[in-house]
Amino acid sequence: MSYLDIFIEAVSGSLTGVFQIALIVIPLMVFIEIIQDLNLLEKLTAILAPFTNLVGISPEGRLPIMAGLIFGISYGSGIIINSARQGKLTYRDIYLINLFLVICHAVLEDTILIAAIGAKWFPVLMVRFFLAVIICYVVARLMPVPLAEKSESSL
Amino acid sequence: MLTVSTFTRGLRNGLRITWELGVVIVPVYIAVTILKYTPALNWIAELMKPVMHIVGLPGEASLPLVLGAFLNIYAAIGAVLPLAMNTKEITIIAAMLLLAHSLPLEGIVSKKSGAKVSTLIITRLISAFGAGLLFNYFL
Repeated sequence: MSYLDIFIEAVSGSLTGVFQIALIVIPLMVFIEIIQDLNLLEKLTAILAPFTNLVGISPEGRLPIMAGLIFGISYGSGIIINSARQGKLTYRDIYLINLFLVICHAVLEDTILIAAIGAKWFPVLMVRFFLAVIICYVVARLMPVPLAEKSESSL
Repeated sequence: MLTVSTFTRGLRNGLRITWELGVVIVPVYIAVTILKYTPALNWIAELMKPVMHIVGLPGEASLPLVLGAFLNIYAAIGAVLPLAMNTKEITIIAAMLLLAHSLPLEGIVSKKSGAKVSTLIITRLISAFGAGLLFNYFL
């Protein structure tokens, strides 16, 4: 195999890879803008209620979790910082939201990317999601609930 | 409300991301392809074989795992593509990479939002290894 052949293999292979990913990423980004402009994010947060109640995260934590799940961890963190500044989230909330999101985030983009390179995406997505839920649940049991939150939940 | 700008913004973001991943994937892909034709990839593969074998991956798959952990998913993909792995191996490495990638960058993001980062990163590494074991066993 000549150096030229290796070079051609490398360049054509890599460009093909980028092209295949572009075919997926560009429509996905349009889709994500549609979600945002239709304000679907806030409506979708309701489906997180069973999870946040189970773990004991404030209802205000649902929006950053949903944002991180769909748009990625940077976007989710931006909302966490905002909510934290407004005093709506406790340190416990912030830690648990981060814990959930570092394990499971940007599920649309990541899942489609790995499907594009030939992975079985569904089991990977399931493992990611359930690991995040289980680990959050276990860690939440170990973290003390602040007093303010206790009185709120007993109402 | 949906307007034309919804679509142009999406298109622009899509193109920007394609560019961002392209400038990472192309050089990594080229470097790994060249590495394939040198003894270096075999050395790495032999060295990492005992560890990677536990999660059902070939030794050379350590390369995308390390690139993914320190850089990002795109760099990892650039290294996965030229290695020609089978579906099971790609699924295992995809699961491990999605659990543990861009650790320095995403660590900074978590830190900014006020969380203690070290335990988060340890959790990610353990989860990634656990998922590797799980998929190796069940797939």
